[in-house]
Amino acid sequence: MIAALVLGLIALAVVVGVAWPLVRPASAADQLDPFTEGQRRRLALREERDLALAALKELEVDHATHHIGDEDYAELVADYRARAAEAIRQLDAELPPVR
Amino acid sequence: MALIGQGALILALLLAVYAAGGGLFAGLGRDRRFLTSARNALWAIFALVVIADAIFLYAIFTHDFSFTVVADTTSRSLPVGYMFTAWWGSQAGSLLLWVTILSGFSLLALRATRRALGELQPWLIMILALIGAFFLVLLVVPASPFVTQLAPADGVGLNPSLQNPYMAIHPPALYLGYVGLAIPFALAMAAMIAGRTDARWLVASRRWTLAAWGFLGIGMLLGSHWAYTEVGWGGFWAWDPVENAALMPWLVATAFLHSVMVQERKGMLKVWNICLISGAFALSIFGTFLTRSGILSSIHAFVSTNIGWYFVFALAAILGGAFVLILWRLPLLKADQRIESLVSREATFLFNNLLLVGIAFAVLWGVIFPLLTEGFGSVRETVSTPFYEFFVIVFGLPLLLLMGIGPLIAWRRASLLQLRRSFLYPLVAGLVAGGVMIGFGLGSSWPGVAALSVCAFVTVTILSEFVRGAAARRSIHGENWLVALSRLIGRNRRRYGGYIVHLGVILFVIGAVGSSAYETQTSGLLKPGESLKVGSNVLTFEGVERTRGPNFVARAAVLNVTSDGSNLGTLKPAKRSYLREQTTSNEVAIRTTLTGGDLFIILDGIRGDGAVQIKAFYKPVVALLWIAGFFFVGGVLLCVWPDQREARRILRRYAEEPLPGES
Amino acid sequence: MSDVTPATPDGPKPGIRHVRLVIALAIASLLGTFAVYTAFADSSMPVLGVAQASTGYEGQKVRLEGKVTETTGDAADPRGMRFTLQDNVHSATMPVEYRGAVPDAYRVGRAIVIDGTYENGVFTAVPDTLVTKCPSKYQDKATPSTSSDLS
Repeated sequence: MIAALVLGLIALAVVVGVAWPLVRPASAADQLDPFTEGQRRRLALREERDLALAALKELEVDHATHHIGDEDYAELVADYRARAAEAIRQLDAELPPVR
Repeated sequence: MALIGQGALILALLLAVYAAGGGLFAGLGRDRRFLTSARNALWAIFALVVIADAIFLYAIFTHDFSFTVVADTTSRSLPVGYMFTAWWGSQAGSLLLWVTILSGFSLLALRATRRALGELQPWLIMILALIGAFFLVLLVVPASPFVTQLAPADGVGLNPSLQNPYMAIHPPALYLGYVGLAIPFALAMAAMIAGRTDARWLVASRRWTLAAWGFLGIGMLLGSHWAYTEVGWGGFWAWDPVENAALMPWLVATAFLHSVMVQERKGMLKVWNICLISGAFALSIFGTFLTRSGILSSIHAFVSTNIGWYFVFALAAILGGAFVLILWRLPLLKADQRIESLVSREATFLFNNLLLVGIAFAVLWGVIFPLLTEGFGSVRETVSTPFYEFFVIVFGLPLLLLMGIGPLIAWRRASLLQLRRSFLYPLVAGLVAGGVMIGFGLGSSWPGVAALSVCAFVTVTILSEFVRGAAARRSIHGENWLVALSRLIGRNRRRYGGYIVHLGVILFVIGAVGSSAYETQTSGLLKPGESLKVGSNVLTFEGVERTRGPNFVARAAVLNVTSDGSNLGTLKPAKRSYLREQTTSNEVAIRTTLTGGDLFIILDGIRGDGAVQIKAFYKPVVALLWIAGFFFVGGVLLCVWPDQREARRILRRYAEEPLPGES
Repeated sequence: MSDVTPATPDGPKPGIRHVRLVIALAIASLLGTFAVYTAFADSSMPVLGVAQASTGYEGQKVRLEGKVTETTGDAADPRGMRFTLQDNVHSATMPVEYRGAVPDAYRVGRAIVIDGTYENGVFTAVPDTLVTKCPSKYQDKATPSTSSDLS
């Protein structure tokens, strides 16, 4: 008997806690914003930029520790710099993000 | 009380189903109310499961034998410490532990991903709730901890083999690993459902994967140590299906940890990574399944096969779901770049992956071979240690070699000239080590010499990485060696943490090779005063000693150990009779020498006339197996350690503009 | 997705084809090793009950499953231990000769697994392969090998 009472109370508390957010009707503020195409594109560009910058850092370490020779180093650095620059350029060209 | 516990679990199950639905609605309808509601449901599930745990533990500690599970796994004379381990001494109890860890981790994962991953949260909740619901169904229907009976006067007791400290830590460690893999899996699935092809899910799941991998590894090491010291047949790994159950997900998770680095840098292997994490989690469920059902008549036939079908369904759902999602999102998962050169770290990681997955596949084959032969043939067939050892050696040696080559090769492209310079010292070290070993007579085992030579090669490689990195810092920043080294490690935690883990692997390999390929063994029947020689040690039998423990009576053979005349003390291998449980157990005696080798002695039998049958091993450098554990833990901790600068960088990247679902 | 990587006008560069070939070869050699080993190495053995083992498997190395019905002798002794194994389901029995390590849980009435060869009416076991199956009372399902003894 006590068990049923305790369980009933717990169940009640749980149902209230879970149903509470649903009690009020949906409003505009409850909309989870969709991931727009623009956001996706800008995120990809930011990843590209960060990837290139991180690779440049790692290249510097690898070069300093003699894992990579001067020629390869120069070539790869140029490549990553170009990528980073391109990504930053494209990002700047986009409309500034909503703040 | 049992009713409240069972009721709590049923309620939790209903909530889990609701949470899954709520997550679905939140994701499809983009309704924040459902997201909040589903999240509250997860909190409620956690609270209910904790209530169930409390009731269960209370029953154990108050010797409430009306709970069938409590009566089956404890007794009044069970030492208090081991009453806690009785929680996972039963099928129902261990499933309860699984669910507890899962619901706790789910809450943590939600909290950790609420910034900049808000879009994934509905799907994350849905998937984690579904996994939780599965285990709750098991707990409610076939494997309830709250089944009651007429209480007997005393319980049956806990298997004596489980009554030792390692068994207190080993199962929870493994479970933290198994359950931990659910989070990266759920993140991967959620990312695919949401169509997010960026690497956010990867970055978010990194620490979870590392931690889960670490727990699985430590769990296995603890289990091996337990097998070595407690079960005491002289070995530490028997290729039992239950052991393999943990090894398989661990191997695949290792592959995943490496290939993730390739995706982070080159945006390739996207589909492969999702396959790997799905495979790792599926293997973790399979592993839980193997230790729960009697589907494989392993050496320990776990009797309840009624939950077998539940697990088959779960495996099908996981693999099928992942497959469908990958197919659906395939266009979005194209690689950004390609491998340009075979002499690159990406290529090394790719080969590393192939070998690791190869070993995992071979182990899986060995595990399901009896099933396959019985199903497709007429007679059940089995493979044993030689099968597994073949693949560990043939696939493992190249893998070990790659561990030494990888650090020397730069990303994207390495120049052969630089490689020649980098390889010189390690290669020489390997060859010299090999030559020295053969000179010392270790050529008796060619895999042994090969493995140890490669270990020398890898060790020099790794140490040179530390030296070169510190030297570079010194020349650039002018720091002294100590500062340079600590800054180097502090600024490149993942890289150097990884190297420390690799050093742990090397120690483990040396310990494994030394103690198996180069051990010596003797046995003999000794009357009081007689001696046995093993290696350079002499064991002299003095007599049988009787002692009494809390729930056992022991008879030990007292052996005096001397080496080259100097006395090294006494060893007392014994046989214990557990009164309540009515079994005997063998307690081996181990003495570790300064060089890390073990004198390992088993009391095979005591004859009526007081003579004893003794088997003795000398196992060189076996202690390295356990020391390796500290390196694993240290390396993983270093990798997992929060890095404020990196965290800020990541947030800037993913939250530079408010992304959906911020809460 | 931004595409900053310049592509060559005439498809993938020869270097990349070369890389793909090597990777394919690596996968093929792993699979090949696996296939060859499982096909040719004598790596597996049948798992049989007592009733099956006595007919048609004479002289072959097999893994035998059964229940111990009586036992004499000492496995650590040079003369070894002799016990009778009964089929888990049927009533067929078989005498077994064993030397080597005996797991703690071994006793009359326990189910065991052992490797060896059935010849001339006796099953001669490979030393140290006696393994007991966990008795159903101790359902230690949370843990691996409790009494496994592949000594």
